[in-house]
Amino acid sequence: MRRTRALKDLLWVFALAGLVAGVFRLWFGLGATTNLSDAVPWGLWKIFNMVAGVAISTSGFMVGFLVYVLKLERFRPLMKPAILVAFLGYGCSCLALLFDIGLPFRFWHPFLMWNEHSFLFEVFWCVSLYFTITAIELGPTLFEKLRAERVVAFLHRIAFGVVVVGISLSSLHHSSLGSLFLVTPQRLHPLWYSSLLPLFFIISAAGAGLMFMVLIKIVYARLYDRESVFGPKSEEAIAIVPMGGGSNGNGKERPTGRDLPMLVSLASIATSILGAFGVIQVARLLVDGSWRVLAAGTWESWLFGLEMALLVGLPLFLVWNPQTRRSPTALGLAAISACSGLFLNRMDVGIFGYFRSAGEVYFPSLAEWALSAGVIAAAGLTFLVIVENFSVFDEEWKTRRADMGIFKAKFDSFSLVWNTALSSGLERATVIAVIMIPLAWSLMYPSYARIDALEVEPALGLDVTRTVLCINGNTTGVKTDFPHADHRERLGGDTSCRQCHHMSLPGDETTACFRCHRQMVQSTRIFDHGEHTLAVAESEQLGGIYPSNHSCGVCHPAGEAKSAESAKPCLECHREDARWEEPADQDSDLALAVSYMEAMHENCIPCHRDEAEKPDQKALDDCSTCHRSLKQREVPIETVTMRR
Amino acid sequence: MKAILVDVTKCTGCERCVEACIAENDSDPVQAHVDRAVTWDGLSENRLLSLVQIGEGRFARKSCMHCLEPSCVSACLVGGLTKTPEGPVIYDPDKCIGCRYCMLACPFSIPRYEWQETTPFVRKCTMCFERVQEGIPPACVEACPNDALRFGDRDALLDEAHGLIASHRTVYLPRVWGESEYGGTSLLYLSDVDLSSIGWPPRGAGSVPSLTEPLISKTPFIGLGVASGLLGVNWIIRRRMNLQDETDGPGGSGTPDRAGEESA
Repeated sequence: MRRTRALKDLLWVFALAGLVAGVFRLWFGLGATTNLSDAVPWGLWKIFNMVAGVAISTSGFMVGFLVYVLKLERFRPLMKPAILVAFLGYGCSCLALLFDIGLPFRFWHPFLMWNEHSFLFEVFWCVSLYFTITAIELGPTLFEKLRAERVVAFLHRIAFGVVVVGISLSSLHHSSLGSLFLVTPQRLHPLWYSSLLPLFFIISAAGAGLMFMVLIKIVYARLYDRESVFGPKSEEAIAIVPMGGGSNGNGKERPTGRDLPMLVSLASIATSILGAFGVIQVARLLVDGSWRVLAAGTWESWLFGLEMALLVGLPLFLVWNPQTRRSPTALGLAAISACSGLFLNRMDVGIFGYFRSAGEVYFPSLAEWALSAGVIAAAGLTFLVIVENFSVFDEEWKTRRADMGIFKAKFDSFSLVWNTALSSGLERATVIAVIMIPLAWSLMYPSYARIDALEVEPALGLDVTRTVLCINGNTTGVKTDFPHADHRERLGGDTSCRQCHHMSLPGDETTACFRCHRQMVQSTRIFDHGEHTLAVAESEQLGGIYPSNHSCGVCHPAGEAKSAESAKPCLECHREDARWEEPADQDSDLALAVSYMEAMHENCIPCHRDEAEKPDQKALDDCSTCHRSLKQREVPIETVTMRR
Repeated sequence: MKAILVDVTKCTGCERCVEACIAENDSDPVQAHVDRAVTWDGLSENRLLSLVQIGEGRFARKSCMHCLEPSCVSACLVGGLTKTPEGPVIYDPDKCIGCRYCMLACPFSIPRYEWQETTPFVRKCTMCFERVQEGIPPACVEACPNDALRFGDRDALLDEAHGLIASHRTVYLPRVWGESEYGGTSLLYLSDVDLSSIGWPPRGAGSVPSLTEPLISKTPFIGLGVASGLLGVNWIIRRRMNLQDETDGPGGSGTPDRAGEESA
């Protein structure tokens, strides 16, 4: 019981952190909460939760296939749990997907807007329909509790048909999840891209889904009903002769639970399917020549090897080796290995396989991990609630435990209130929520507090005289050496400060570099490079089919980089045009654009001054008329330097 | 079917097409300039068109290639992307649910997402569809001072491109990019340098939908096939179990299974 409670606490912690992450996702948007980018548009929520989460939930249709179609009645006790796992698996995958899509409130669009050429469309429809099917299959479990016998009888009558429809839908969408990645032949790494992807996806999902069922049963047994799998406790085992009677390597009889033979049989089927997957995968490698890519020994090769070892190698070894075959621990290990192998495989196909072509590495953000784990934890909690309150697995342990009084809350003398709060159920969850939500909030929030990224960082002097500064000039986060003294001189000495500082936009401390240095091959905006190439070619009467392409050498000396520094000085050609002393001509290209402040002053002040001549409008020739902060100081307008 | 012919040898990299594109699409010009520095190919949700420098002194336009058999159109599950008969591939923001499968499906990695918005949409070049409908060239073509972009009928431009290659053998490489790559595109490139760095595949790459369409058209038959296969297998098994019952008589090995069947 203590173990169950610890697990529930852990699940609550993850679920609440996921809740906070979900709120952040809806509040701040995808860009702020996730590390997704244009190069890696699909991340953890789609691949880990949806593609892999749906793949691991194949138990619902696979056990249905074994029990209803192949009539293997020994697996019937697993039917209800398998359906519950499928229902919750699909449910939590869809929940994660709802947070992943950019416009969650439009999730219903594909029901009305069809594109039957899209595999994603097929996946959407099949997953929706199959989710409905699992809900129908779950019906008997829920209605039994409500004692609605006629509904239960009706649901049992249609069960076979529902299972067949469910298997067809599953076979379609599990393969289509693989087909989703068929559209990226040039981007997905050749180790994982194959025209057989749909086949690989459905086979590996079928095998690993059954292994997940084995794992669920073992975990369930550890939590509630230890004897059913692990056999009676060791001291009792001396007295009780084991029923299934397996032998371990030392030749000693080890006690086994009554459900263990069933699990071993299920694991054997599952690993056979995984073995078939391994064989097809190896054959594919040999036939299409991908083994050469594998032999190259890149990190992708190692990942591929690890994935195959986890998904195929280790489970096959553990389940078929007579030494470990009848051990619940080894079985559990094989199941964990197969499930993690499946998750790794889906992550490889959906995320890691794209790193090389994207030229970018994606690592999920804290919020992505939190939401990802959160929806799974929420599904786990729902699973435990349903298992405890409805008849899903064997029910024997419930009466046994009720007799022992474990479900009754205990009070001791230490603190009545505290123990009530922590005894179990919602009170305990509330305490966890009170601690967990602020904690998760404070862990995740700081990274979004800096959303207003457009701020200019203080400049850093590189030498004592501060002639060169290290600035984040384009507010892109990339620092550069900025020759401050050079700029000051070039732009006109002491009077030039305004051109960059405070004169561009309200609230701006400095003007970002790109406001002047806008174009790729131009030194500043006022120089029109394109016009020059054409005009120079014309005046020099250059030949060739594109004379302008031959004009470079007129200004840029051959053999040197074509940069503003190497180019001929403007005045070599423009000696007559240039009037460097007085660039006051407003219409000339050589004039500097007016700044925000200059524009305002020049628009307003002349008129204000004229109006102030009138006797009753004295207040208008005063800075404080517009600048409220100067109200007290009565600065006359003449003291404001107005230079152009 | 309209198209744009890009002559890489004529482009001087002045980026006037980019400025025209930013103005035409009402993008944020300040953010667009920031984005040029921080994105690897200059494309972002504010810059639907960019120039990628190839080697020294060559610039190639990168934007939506407006494929003849677009992968994005076939991938979008709500049909939010359409290939118009005029040539442009256009996007309908009213249908989009934000699944971003078009971004994964595009062989040129063109569509960009408004990651910073709370109601984000996909943005991509639409070849100025409204202008094309009125018969005006797209804004980028109009802005080009060097005649490096030319707008016109796709067949006519193809003829023109092949004519130019034939008459200027020393200038151009003998290949019109976009003629058949990925099933052909509505952006055609003439160049004297290799263009694989802006996403062009080797010669002879087939269209992406040709990989998926044959498979997905079989979907209903696969579903029905699986269902009838299951019924067939189940029928055989039940029949064999009944035969077993008859030979074994009541209480034979088949009994537990039949009990299970009745409870179902």
